[in-house]
Amino acid sequence: MPDSTQTLLLTLLMGIPFVGAMGLGMLKNHVSESVSGFLAVALTAIGLLISIILAISVRHPLHWQTNWIAFSGHTFPLSLQLDALSRLMLVVVHGVALLVQLYSIHYMRGDARIGRYFAYLQGFVGAMLGIVLAGNLLILYGFWELVGLASYLLIGFWYHRPSASRAATKAFLMNRIGDAAFLLGILLTYVQTGSVNFGTEPLTTAAGLCLFMGCVAKSAQFPLLTWLPAAMEGPTPVSALLHAATMVAAGIVLLARIHPMLSPDALTVVAIVGTVTAIWGGFSALFQLDIKQVLAFSTVSQLGLMVAAMGTGNVSGALFHLLTHACFKAGLFLAAGSVIHAVHTQDMRAMGGLRKAMPYTFAAYVVCAAALAGVPLLSGFLSKEIVLGGAFSWAAQRGGPAILIPLGLLLSSGLTAVYMARQLRLVFWGEPTVSDAIPHEPGWLMRGPMLVLAVLSVGIWFSVNPLSVHQSWVFAQMPLAVLSEGPVWLALVSIALVVLGGWLGFRMREPATDGKLALLSFHYGYLDQLYQTIFITPTRKFASFLNRTDQRAVDGLVNGLGIGVVLLAHIAAFVDRIGVDGAVDGVGKLAVGVGQLTRSVQGGRVQTYIATAVAVVLLLLWILT
Amino acid sequence: MPLLSLLIFLPLAGALLVALLPRERADLYRWVAVAVTGAEVVLSGLAYAQFDRGMAGYQLLEQADWITLPMGSLGVASIDYLVGIDGISLPLVILSAVVMLVGVVSSWSTNHRSQAYFALYLLLTGTIMGCFVALDFFLFFLFFEFMLLPMYFLIGLWGGPRREYASIKFFLYTLAGSVLILLVMIGLYLSVIDPVSTAIAAGLIDAPGDMTAEVLRVIHFQLLHGQLNPAQLVHTFDWRYMADGGNYLPNSFLSIFGEVSIGGVPSRMLAFWALFIGFAVKLPIVPLHTWLPDAHVEAPTPVSVVLAGVLLKIGGYGFIRVVWGLFPDGGAQYATVLGGLGAFTIVYGGLNALAQNDLKKMIAYSSVSHMGFVLLGVASLTAEGVNGAVYQMVSHGVLSAMLFLLTGVLYDRTRDRRIDSYRGLLTPMPRYATLTAVAFFASLGLPGFSGFVGELFTLMGGYQSTYLPGWITAVSTLGIILAAAYFLWTFQRMFFGETWVRAQVDGATQTLPDLTVRERFLLIPLALIALLLGLFPNLVFNLTNSSVAQWMQKFME
Repeated sequence: MPDSTQTLLLTLLMGIPFVGAMGLGMLKNHVSESVSGFLAVALTAIGLLISIILAISVRHPLHWQTNWIAFSGHTFPLSLQLDALSRLMLVVVHGVALLVQLYSIHYMRGDARIGRYFAYLQGFVGAMLGIVLAGNLLILYGFWELVGLASYLLIGFWYHRPSASRAATKAFLMNRIGDAAFLLGILLTYVQTGSVNFGTEPLTTAAGLCLFMGCVAKSAQFPLLTWLPAAMEGPTPVSALLHAATMVAAGIVLLARIHPMLSPDALTVVAIVGTVTAIWGGFSALFQLDIKQVLAFSTVSQLGLMVAAMGTGNVSGALFHLLTHACFKAGLFLAAGSVIHAVHTQDMRAMGGLRKAMPYTFAAYVVCAAALAGVPLLSGFLSKEIVLGGAFSWAAQRGGPAILIPLGLLLSSGLTAVYMARQLRLVFWGEPTVSDAIPHEPGWLMRGPMLVLAVLSVGIWFSVNPLSVHQSWVFAQMPLAVLSEGPVWLALVSIALVVLGGWLGFRMREPATDGKLALLSFHYGYLDQLYQTIFITPTRKFASFLNRTDQRAVDGLVNGLGIGVVLLAHIAAFVDRIGVDGAVDGVGKLAVGVGQLTRSVQGGRVQTYIATAVAVVLLLLWILT
Repeated sequence: MPLLSLLIFLPLAGALLVALLPRERADLYRWVAVAVTGAEVVLSGLAYAQFDRGMAGYQLLEQADWITLPMGSLGVASIDYLVGIDGISLPLVILSAVVMLVGVVSSWSTNHRSQAYFALYLLLTGTIMGCFVALDFFLFFLFFEFMLLPMYFLIGLWGGPRREYASIKFFLYTLAGSVLILLVMIGLYLSVIDPVSTAIAAGLIDAPGDMTAEVLRVIHFQLLHGQLNPAQLVHTFDWRYMADGGNYLPNSFLSIFGEVSIGGVPSRMLAFWALFIGFAVKLPIVPLHTWLPDAHVEAPTPVSVVLAGVLLKIGGYGFIRVVWGLFPDGGAQYATVLGGLGAFTIVYGGLNALAQNDLKKMIAYSSVSHMGFVLLGVASLTAEGVNGAVYQMVSHGVLSAMLFLLTGVLYDRTRDRRIDSYRGLLTPMPRYATLTAVAFFASLGLPGFSGFVGELFTLMGGYQSTYLPGWITAVSTLGIILAAAYFLWTFQRMFFGETWVRAQVDGATQTLPDLTVRERFLLIPLALIALLLGLFPNLVFNLTNSSVAQWMQKFME
């Protein structure tokens, strides 16, 4: 394919969603509601087509750049790049976005602001493509923030709900904390390397960790993970697209880009953060009561797994897990949305026995949940094995306490089976709870995307060999070293853990939310309460303290000074009345010069100033000479 | 065409015209004002078109002898009418023209003493332009002082309940700053000679056109070795000469060799701080900022727009042109303290903004915080930082104008600016909510809008700087988190949730109509300008780059 064609396709790719967002935003509700939905779907379908064409036809990395900012020899180009990573992500983003938007047409039907909804989604797609295609850190940061904006708008889409509006603010602010550090990291990169390009040499550990903070916030890593469960206030399809499959994976994309720039120490921190997050998320998912919260914490945990894989040097493994996770987690969210749509609640205690009423949803849920838990023959098994295997061989090389990393990941993997089994039982098994209407399957617009994602969660699509991924097309795509899956015993242990965890989860007694452990899990380690106590409340108190200081002390000083000056003026006036005669002789000489000047200039103020000026001039000369 | 003089005197003529128009033609005042400020935009556009971006020095110069006064053995006093622009002042001139036009349109419904209002407004326009184009310190100071007068009355006569307190405070604060500037101006005047006129007086050349580098060297040499007759020394207020170290008299008050000290402190350092404080009041820099929230709260909307959009920038402009421009030694010596002060202002302003319940005060403190970035950028003494500082001023000019207009929209409807008086405004006023969201996100530094670029490059300058330790910039970065916090928290409280508006005691309207056509006509172009500057930052950097590069050379030595 000639370069000009590629450039054209790339421009189209970036242009379509943004133009679509603006167009849909302007159309708003002037068209009937399904029109905006289908328009959005059509735009994304074109994007998907282009992505597939690019993925098939482009073999060598493509760079495209133009001058953006330049001064004094420093240039900051606007650059995009199309390499293996971006080709993969283009297909993932477009694919999931397409299915989610199709699903949304039905799911959001009747919402008064549906036109805006699709506009926001298109805006998100555009920003996400920007992250994927960004050719340097600065451009990536730009789109990174735009993705945050889309997330803010979509979480707060039902702005009437106080909880939704709080969640939106919380998400943006927590991300902002990470982004501020990320920006610092970019500036440090610029200072150390003289450019904002993705480097190939390790930076200082501090700079690398600053960059990594961007990932910590966006991918909901410990300790900035609490915005993600709150983000579940957004419409469920949004949770599927942004807060499960793609946006939160942006942190992983970032890590893949900056991986060579991280020093060994920084990578160790990355591995630790990822592992802690994987366990923290898995543990927190255990006792949630809201169907989406379980999935949210599961997402946190799986993202931790990917980050840990990055930390252990397993870039290809992390990206592979990103890919499989995008399919089955989006599928899970869409299926959960279907359940919510049917029973009008998100509380799992009010569900039960839905497997008979909703067979399609049930089937999709089971397949995706099994893939998530890592059941053999499904995609999750493949990707988890390669992540765990990589971690074990990394630990073996290092020795000592490094073994805690793979063990922690193994633990979190076991937890996955527990909470998914528990959720399946709560939602689909047991007796149906009393409800006014009999729940029923949604229409095909919702059923279709859900089933497609379930089908895509089967391992055969990713690798013909159900136990090994070395012949997988995915890795053929990526010019990266592929680590081995690890020994056979690891696969056996994993399978045993899935079975054990599943059994535990299925047998777990409910309600068990009053125990200390259950409460700890339900409140995800009381992180939010902790932040409230140590950050938010003190900051606000400090701010109002400063404000009082500002008004009383600083301004009080000014006002006091004012009163003082007035007093002084009165004293001066008094002295003037008494002593003016005596002083006349002393200033007589000066008066001549002053008089000359004042005559020559018109206007009151000018005269005064020139008079003062000359007086001071003479005085100074007299002192100095 | 004397473009720059037109920029100054057209509004002054307009002010006169408004003052002379008979009362019966009251409807014409605003038309005169809009025509004049519209013409200012065109004139500034012409200046932009004629400006040679590759050239570093002053352009479009206009010079006329104004006051020449032989003072016997004290030499000759000379004050010139000298105007010109370079890449640092041009963006601010264009910004001022646009913001002044916006201010007039938003004053459209002013009926109370409209003759005086528009006359003063035009007077203000002329003096602001004068500040940005004057190149003679005396001329600048004249405009700088004269600007206070219309501003004082605009706040004091058309302001809110505490307008008198606010206007007097504004006046005294700025006046106190100007006294310091005045002192240094006189000191500089005594210490600097005009080499061209001195050469003529000394008989070295016949006309200014004969001036060559060789003659300049001779003059500088003779000056240095005291070979010039004191009676032939021509003192000057010309900034161009003040910026050249060779023109300073040895042993003079502000001699670059620093022979003179007061109380053990070199007089040049004292002068640097005096000038700094004088302009820091305007910017404002904490702790010299307390006039700003009061002035903003009491000022009518258009005056707030002008105050935040343009007047504050004179402080930043003064930093670059005068404080650092004439005292590079002070800027280099105290860079750490100054950068630290910038970081402190950023964080202090941000935290205070977080605590406000009055929308205007919140925005006023956010202005303080954003102006801290200007100081940080200038103090960094890097190309990134100084270009970024100018950019930040332009960006903030546009965005703060937008923010104050938005506040005015709400205040016009309910006479209530308290944040907690509103909830769920998004439902009755979707357009208003959208534009507020745009202004808020642009101000908190969302990439794509101008706010981001200004912060990025001032911070980048901070890190690049050899003068500033890294922690100063790291602390400044807190400012962008705080900005997100106060803007988004405000947005959440006012626009999200179920619609609720506090009942008004005086029975003001309860219905909240969405933006009128005129309001949209003001806000949307501003939003587009912010977007345009954010997407194409080179629009500003292309102008500033050469001049900043030349400015930087003083610090390379």
